[in-house]
Amino acid sequence: MNRDSLLMSSGSEHGFGLLAAGLEGQPVREQIAPDLFEETTLVSAARDGDRAAFGRLYDRYARMVHGVLLAKVPLGEVDDLVQDVFVLALRRLSTLREIGSFGAWLAAIARNLAMDYHRRAAPEEQLTADLSENEAEHPMTNGDHEGAAAILEAIRSLPEAYREPLILRLVEGMTGPEIATRTGLTPGSVRVNLHRGMQQLRARLTTS
Amino acid sequence: MDAGNNETKKELQAMGNDYLWDGSGEPDPEIQKLEALLGRFQYNRPRPVFPEIVPAKRWRFFLPHMRPLPALAAVAAVAAVAAVVFLMNGRKPNRSPGWDVSAMEGTPRVGAKAISGKEGSGRLGVGQTLETDLQARARLRADEIGQIEVEPGTRLRLLDMGLGLKRIALDRGTIHTFIWAPPGQFVVDTPSAEAVDLGCAYTLQVDNSGAGLVRTSLGWVGFKLKGRESFIPAGAACVTRPGVGPGTPYFEDASSEFRSALTRFDFQDSTSEQRGKDLAIVLAHCRQRDALTLWHLLARVDEPQRAIVYNYLAKFIPPPSGVTQTGILRLDQRMLDRWWNDLGFDDISVWRYWERSWAGAAPQASAK
Repeated sequence: MNRDSLLMSSGSEHGFGLLAAGLEGQPVREQIAPDLFEETTLVSAARDGDRAAFGRLYDRYARMVHGVLLAKVPLGEVDDLVQDVFVLALRRLSTLREIGSFGAWLAAIARNLAMDYHRRAAPEEQLTADLSENEAEHPMTNGDHEGAAAILEAIRSLPEAYREPLILRLVEGMTGPEIATRTGLTPGSVRVNLHRGMQQLRARLTTS
Repeated sequence: MDAGNNETKKELQAMGNDYLWDGSGEPDPEIQKLEALLGRFQYNRPRPVFPEIVPAKRWRFFLPHMRPLPALAAVAAVAAVAAVVFLMNGRKPNRSPGWDVSAMEGTPRVGAKAISGKEGSGRLGVGQTLETDLQARARLRADEIGQIEVEPGTRLRLLDMGLGLKRIALDRGTIHTFIWAPPGQFVVDTPSAEAVDLGCAYTLQVDNSGAGLVRTSLGWVGFKLKGRESFIPAGAACVTRPGVGPGTPYFEDASSEFRSALTRFDFQDSTSEQRGKDLAIVLAHCRQRDALTLWHLLARVDEPQRAIVYNYLAKFIPPPSGVTQTGILRLDQRMLDRWWNDLGFDDISVWRYWERSWAGAAPQASAK
């Protein structure tokens, strides 16, 4: 698919025409529209067998997938599951019907694998023990270790809707607009969940 | 409820200076500390070597050297084999388009199949019906679309899982939806309007008379019946009635006088004098936030009243450049849309895109 035909299809099939239509005065969207254009190009190329394109999608989405998993799965398991998510995505790429929904599709695969993990894992691993196992990989002082463990535990105890955006923002260093683009959620919902989640996190950290 | 609304107000104010949102504004030391501490867990593994990708299957029956008839014969043969396999197996392939169904409480039913117990699960395919009795609750999940929780006493049908448009019909009962498919792709038909997901999460109720209520918690929802449309952002609600369609949306923290007058204005078969009185009550109790309601009223009032509504709305949210009173009074769609975009809700082009793409692609509201 050449650039022109993709441009046409992105306007008619995938809704990016409307993004372009709504760009006026919205700098965040100005950054996102070309990003989405490039992404559909990459997904399309990967579906046609281009491994380098899939690798670039990995570079783009690995932190998002990691964050989605970290919201649900012990840290020690997350890195391996990130790889599993991408391998599964690669195998199923031909079944992806809407290339504009790649991020939402990938996030859904990650959430499903996290659920599968919990179905298999019994008893559930504790986050604190899990952090100890990973100390070698992420060296920290004792104080830092305990602090990080407590904060991660606090985030993971929040309602599900708040966990993902907070981890993507605070752990993975993604901005709100980036979270929305990568996960396929609307900026409005990400923004509200970030703020509500942060309020609840502050309250929990203050009381503890 | 009031406490919740105050929270929302504070929240919206807090979103002004937004280091948390996009790193702009004055840095918040507490968030910076969290970033420094938690950033150690950030994913930084290098790209692995991926196996070969099997390219997506394309239609290859009609190779240049093949004539259509032999190719069609091949297709027919494959179809015949598939039909035999299907009949021998006695069931459909496992992953036909549909929603995974699990029981949350009691025994929901998909068609005649009962789904019960903690491990109880099933699949709702196109054309099938899910019902919950007064003790049952169910959860529907589709990876590419989202999740729906179904309350007791609900009947819904899966109408379509097509490319770009997924549609269910809610005949009665209550559903809570959380949708991650792109805006405009998930539609719920009710007996009195269709609800189009334009964002994220909402609750939709339909009673036995076919009247409906949508309450949006995240993102926004479009409610439509024929030419009548309502947009319901987070924190707002909208009633719909058979034969009338969606009423005027309102924020749920509006005064009871405001809401009662609006309901009468929308649905009561009253004289124009009474409608004028109800409109006056609505206007008298309007707050800046109720620009949502005022904008919708522009297209629902008689022409002489429109100028009054225009003035109220302009007082709260001045019309953007290029939007004139004359244009609004003649209901110029582009001007109305531009003004909407200045109200501070989501961009209306999402809705217009949906209208262009899908409106009229299916029945406007479901018939039982």
